[in-house]
Amino acid sequence: MGIIRESDLPGIGKKYQIDTVSGDKMVVIIHDDGRREIYHFYDEDPEETISQVTLEDEEARQIAAIIGGMSYKPKVLETVQVTLEELVIEWCKIEASYACVNKSIAELQVRQRTGATILAIVEKGKQKINPGPDDLLSANATLVIAGERQQIKQLKHLLQNG
Amino acid sequence: MNHMIFEVGTALLLVAIASLIAGKLKFSIIPFLIVLGMFVGPHAPVIGIFDFTFVKSQDVISLLGRIGVLFLLFYIGLEFSVSKLIKSGRNIVFGGTIYVLLNFIIGLVYGLVAQFPIYESLIIAGMLSVSSTAIVAKVLVDLRRTGNAETELILGMILFDDLFLAVFLSVMSGLLLGGATSIGGIFLSVGISIAYMLLFFVIARKGTPLLNKLLNITSNEIFIIVVFSLLFFVAGFSEKLHVAEAIGALLFGLALSETEHSKRIEHLVIPFRDFFGAVFFFSFGLSIDPLTLGDAAWLAIGAVVLTILANMVAGMMAGRNAGLSHKASTNIGLTVMARGEFTIIVANLGIYAGLMPLLKPFSALYVLILAILGPLLAKESKPIYGGLNKIFKWSKPKVKDKIKVDNAQ
Repeated sequence: MGIIRESDLPGIGKKYQIDTVSGDKMVVIIHDDGRREIYHFYDEDPEETISQVTLEDEEARQIAAIIGGMSYKPKVLETVQVTLEELVIEWCKIEASYACVNKSIAELQVRQRTGATILAIVEKGKQKINPGPDDLLSANATLVIAGERQQIKQLKHLLQNG
Repeated sequence: MNHMIFEVGTALLLVAIASLIAGKLKFSIIPFLIVLGMFVGPHAPVIGIFDFTFVKSQDVISLLGRIGVLFLLFYIGLEFSVSKLIKSGRNIVFGGTIYVLLNFIIGLVYGLVAQFPIYESLIIAGMLSVSSTAIVAKVLVDLRRTGNAETELILGMILFDDLFLAVFLSVMSGLLLGGATSIGGIFLSVGISIAYMLLFFVIARKGTPLLNKLLNITSNEIFIIVVFSLLFFVAGFSEKLHVAEAIGALLFGLALSETEHSKRIEHLVIPFRDFFGAVFFFSFGLSIDPLTLGDAAWLAIGAVVLTILANMVAGMMAGRNAGLSHKASTNIGLTVMARGEFTIIVANLGIYAGLMPLLKPFSALYVLILAILGPLLAKESKPIYGGLNKIFKWSKPKVKDKIKVDNAQ
């Protein structure tokens, strides 16, 4: 681990200076208004910046997720997954050919037959978090599903073949 | 009273336009608003329905400006935490002390040499010693210097400077507003001011649990009413004790700074501080007759030159003491040089107490020059450092580094 030094900048925000193991010096400023700034300094002359980046709050969170290796965005529409012990969260896109298209969650008996849970239905322009039994699964929607690995597998099978 | 809102609205619209221009030029709005205020005013023409003399609305505008001072200092108090300063470390205490002492002594000597009476000289010393927190913070952010090594020290010194402002204003308002004539009376009124200030320090240290409970209000609406009414009450009450109302606001902020609500209050106060603060600079400009500026011109220029020198020396001492390079130390001096809101507040205290009216055009010119020159010098710190380096030979030019930089560009 490199060294991280934290200090207050009264009236501005917080400052983190990071000296990485590879010898890079980097400073991250979190402004009170949510903006982030990242500065990168020359190795030989730690007073000259090589570059600096300004990020909005939301951008900073996304980039943090990318660097942290937990980035996932349904836009990419690949099965991206997060694993927490036994629990797996996955994204699954419903193709038009799937048997589940235009069936409701209750009709499919998702919970009873697979044990997995549909956390959200994301469609173009709208999203439904924590959908109820009567919500329909339409083609091209992306489902956020959670469960154990085996349950997720069963659910995917159910979605495809009914 | 008929067209009062329209007059005030016109004034605010001008303030808005000046702020937009300052924003376009990426500059602090402070000098723009002061100049704008000086251009309009009693001598300005009445064009059609627009009355740019603002004679009838002057009282309202100056009241809004006074409210601006309360919010400016209340915010400083909130940001200023006693425990932060205690923890801030030797470098900041050293740098801050050197900074304040050097500027204050130079200001005092300058005032006396220019044959001002002692009170006026003290006010001038105070004006020269207080840096503009608003401009310095803005310069650091705008020039993207927040990541630099010297930034903590700069902000620490500014914080220290704010504390000095509190003590200075308390003592001076005791001296000037107490109305005492005998030596004993002077000691008494200064004593009251200092005791009043210490009382708030004690409240900040010991009264926090009680304040936490008192301010534990869920509704933002009621919260803001309670905080603002207390702010105005405490400020007004301070006035009754012959402590400047601005100091009351600052001390009240200080008392709340250690509570768990301080961040919430800060967020609520910022819009008010920004809005009324802008009116404050405008109304200050409005109260100045541009024709009187000439009388104070040489005096102000002399003070500016001394301030630049004192700040460079103090910045260099503070930076070198903290183990920073000559270059970073140069940056300190150049950045903390800006003068603004606090200098005007100090000058206003003197005017309010009936000291020489010359203080007003003097403070206006002094602030105008340094509010413009300060950020410019900070921006050009590289060539300035290069020039100084040629004289003082701090570092030998490194050929290797030079090539590296050229490649990178």
